[in-house]
Amino acid sequence: MAGKSSVAAIYFAILGIVTTAFGIADILVTAGASEFAYGILEIPGDLFRGGWGGVIVLFAGLFYLSGIRNFNEIHQFSKIVMGSILIWIMAGCDIFAMITESIPSWEEETGPWFNTLSDFIAAYAPPYAPAVLLLPFSLVVVYYIRKRKQEI
Amino acid sequence: MKLTIDQRWDLIDKIAKQTITFGEYRHTLKDAIGEFTVKPLTGIPIAIAVMYAFWSIFGSFAGFFTDGFFVRLFDAYWLPWLQEVFPGQGGWLYTIMVDAGGIEGGEFVLSDNCLESFGVLTSGLFVAIGVVLPAIVIFYLMLALLEDIGYMPRLAVLIDTMLHKIGLHGYAIVPTILSLGCNVPGVTATRILETKKQRFIMMTLLAIFIPCGAQIGIMQDVIPGLMGWILLYLIIGYFIFGYILNKIVPGKAPEFLIDVPPYRRPMLSNIAKKVWGRIAGFFKVAIPFVLLGAAIVGVLYQIGVIRFLGDALAPVFVGWFGVPKETAGPLIAAFLRKDLAVAQLSVIEMTEYQMITAVVLVSIYFPCVATFAMMLKEGWKELLGAMAVLAVVVFAYGGLIHLIGILLGVA
Amino acid sequence: MKVLLMGHPNVGKSVFFNRLTGANVTESNYPGTTVDFTKGYMKIDGEDVELIDVPGTFSLDPKDKAEEVAVAILYENKDVKVICVIDASKIERGVYLALEILEEGYPIVIALNMWDAAVDKNIQIDINNLQRILGVAVVPTVAISGEGIKELTSRLKEARPVEIDDIIRNAGGLT
Repeated sequence: MAGKSSVAAIYFAILGIVTTAFGIADILVTAGASEFAYGILEIPGDLFRGGWGGVIVLFAGLFYLSGIRNFNEIHQFSKIVMGSILIWIMAGCDIFAMITESIPSWEEETGPWFNTLSDFIAAYAPPYAPAVLLLPFSLVVVYYIRKRKQEI
Repeated sequence: MKLTIDQRWDLIDKIAKQTITFGEYRHTLKDAIGEFTVKPLTGIPIAIAVMYAFWSIFGSFAGFFTDGFFVRLFDAYWLPWLQEVFPGQGGWLYTIMVDAGGIEGGEFVLSDNCLESFGVLTSGLFVAIGVVLPAIVIFYLMLALLEDIGYMPRLAVLIDTMLHKIGLHGYAIVPTILSLGCNVPGVTATRILETKKQRFIMMTLLAIFIPCGAQIGIMQDVIPGLMGWILLYLIIGYFIFGYILNKIVPGKAPEFLIDVPPYRRPMLSNIAKKVWGRIAGFFKVAIPFVLLGAAIVGVLYQIGVIRFLGDALAPVFVGWFGVPKETAGPLIAAFLRKDLAVAQLSVIEMTEYQMITAVVLVSIYFPCVATFAMMLKEGWKELLGAMAVLAVVVFAYGGLIHLIGILLGVA
Repeated sequence: MKVLLMGHPNVGKSVFFNRLTGANVTESNYPGTTVDFTKGYMKIDGEDVELIDVPGTFSLDPKDKAEEVAVAILYENKDVKVICVIDASKIERGVYLALEILEEGYPIVIALNMWDAAVDKNIQIDINNLQRILGVAVVPTVAISGEGIKELTSRLKEARPVEIDDIIRNAGGLT
């Protein structure tokens, strides 16, 4: 049991550090008022997604980091869950924005109303915002929630 | 026989002892998260995230329908078609119903989009259906979700301290947020506040400083870049004047006691029912007033009243508020519908700062007629008081915004 | 016959109301959703029953305008039955309101709503004993999913006024 929970602690510690770093990067890039893209990562530079959103990613990271000690205690564990929920909120918004942007053609006067299939798919290609990249890693918490339920 | 309060509790104590046993209570994850959302240190970040999500989804959804489809539908198809088939181009009926057009190089030219045409069937319908409908749908959908999950009381607890400074308490967040959809249900919801003083402050602040969903929707569409500033000015005004009202309005502002309910899984049927009911209620008010507003402003333009008012009020508009005198027209329309007024403002030529000032003025200068009627229903004394406050606020705050602009060197 | 739905704020009165009448009253998970009363109709054993969704109130000693509305409705309607909706995990406070209504001489039945939440919290309630002491029908319900609604309506006819003295005696006297 102790061994297992230390695996979880290390995992969420790393996730927490990465998340915090992403949050700080978001805020710095926004302060510099430009976008930043590297590989599959794209950090938005506008005040809304980069600034406000960056603060939330940073909070998510801090929630993770503050929850790793004494991981099995319910209040500590719920901090981890909360961190993941913040990531889900951010990623959910980003993905919803992708979906709404991918469907219309955005033509002014003539031409088709909807996007072509290839452009539609291309809209989902990387690079992604930090929260979207963190999403799969944050989902690990679901496993621990289920495990807790079974133990009770 | 009637018991005293003490006897009643004594009796209840006896009954409870014989009938209730509390088993061992284990903290669940739901409880722990529930606690986190009301503690300031953890609750405020969560509130910031919830607000972000609200805004982000609102923008994506409204942009999808309005900019993705409706703008094109109305500008590229509906407007040219109406301009073509509606008889009597240049006549007064045509001008009011379809297109007021413009004069370019001494010649009458037709408008090329539904914001500039000013017609009842073009601008009026476009604003109501193309812009406001998507905004209202997504707003009420998300509000219903937050309500049914049980987040609202937690937000109330979080913001309690701040609202105490303006004579209200955390629960005032409910009418405030409802008003962001439409001020009419917001005014009704002030009944959950305990004292006359609190209801008066709340109602006045709602009518003056809270922009409704229709207005937010149109701002999002026509002046998205300036919206942050406008909302900032309104929020600051809400607190400044709330603080002042709290000092001068007699009466008590008691503490609030609230039960924070557990988080619950929202029921789809309830959400659907609620959203549908609110949208239907909204549209019964919105559609007639948007169309009527467009018609009245059209007529007033035709017979020269707007120009006359613009000239007469020019010293106030230009000198005191620092906005062009053409804003007189939209301000009249704002009494009927604020969304329409913002749409009309958006095509008047002015600087960014003037636009911010003008839109803030449209928001605060008078409640729309539906809100006005609702406030009258809650009491004419309150309404008169609110109107008096409003007059002062418009002049003081409008002037202040102008002054800030001058100091910043942008006005 | 006229029936009032009364209880604390946010115990699910509007959910009951919508379940019973098929109406569309706004329900939310926060206190104070209903600030005005709503009427609806339902049929019980072939009889038309008028049901009124009363705004939530903590006691008959009103503290805000919505509570004033609630108390006024109670006093205006002398010849009614009251369904007292109580949050099963906060029974004491609910019984307080129920006692007040009983003292005014109204016939009541009690719905112990959100029974599922009480079970989750490991609170055990001896329904039979509670019925014996209070002398009125007590029905555990989960309004949101509809559990217990049927039993509640069928036992509405058992509602009758109760003398407070009897309750005191059943509870073993006051201190």
